[in-house]
Amino acid sequence: MSWIKTTTRFINAWRHPDERVREVETELRFHIEMRTRANVEQGMTPDDAKHAALQSFGDFERVRNNCCEIRRSLPFDSTPLRMGLHIGTAVLAGLAALWAVNVPHHNFTGVMRQLIAIAILTYLFVVVRRARSKRRADNELVNGVLSAKITAFDEQGHTPVERVFKS
Amino acid sequence: MPKAKATLLQGTLDMLILKALSLGALHGYGVGQRIAQISGDALKVEEGSLYPGLYRLEQRGWIESEWDVSENNQRAKFYKLTRAGRKQLIIEEQNWERLAGATIKALRAV
Repeated sequence: MSWIKTTTRFINAWRHPDERVREVETELRFHIEMRTRANVEQGMTPDDAKHAALQSFGDFERVRNNCCEIRRSLPFDSTPLRMGLHIGTAVLAGLAALWAVNVPHHNFTGVMRQLIAIAILTYLFVVVRRARSKRRADNELVNGVLSAKITAFDEQGHTPVERVFKS
Repeated sequence: MPKAKATLLQGTLDMLILKALSLGALHGYGVGQRIAQISGDALKVEEGSLYPGLYRLEQRGWIESEWDVSENNQRAKFYKLTRAGRKQLIIEEQNWERLAGATIKALRAV
């Protein structure tokens, strides 16, 4: 049952975040080690081989963070749930703001309610902004607009053509 | 050396990874090597970008992983295709062939 494994992994990623980061790092370091060995076998010095391996791997931290982020993402398409939460929060905050504004503000209670209304509207603004930026980040990672550079060579093995594959 | 950049179809990297793993369990480094090998060294995936792809496929339940010992006695994470992944690969291959066929047909139209 792969969904059980996925859910267990998701829970573990939140329960033991450091362990998961170490696991990802071990995996990525293994890759760099293998590439370094291959480079040495091709005649490079160990230092050059390591340098070339790191270069061909790309941004280590970005890859590690992406992997950890994917591991922590919900094991199902969470877009409807998140949308529901944001809409619910917005409606509740809007109602509370209406309640707060809907009183005369020439006494202490009225002024306090006005302040509460301003606080609620500020909160609402922050929530909407956060939701928008989070959605952009999630789209990059989870909803499949993750780009990978793939180099295509012609039959003679030269004239590389770089293509960005989106997955 | 002339270079060209183009954006290709979504899902291509997923399909390449699934195809590479359909031939047997591999660690991440091996997946990159296998893609290069089965494409006759015509395709090389930027190495680091393979891993988010692998993690995402695992999250979708199309591949699964376990830690084992590699050919050089190091601890490595090996990935293999699940039954759902095998089905997905068939779907991806069919889609790709249909699209490639239709595109070639359109390009050859007179």
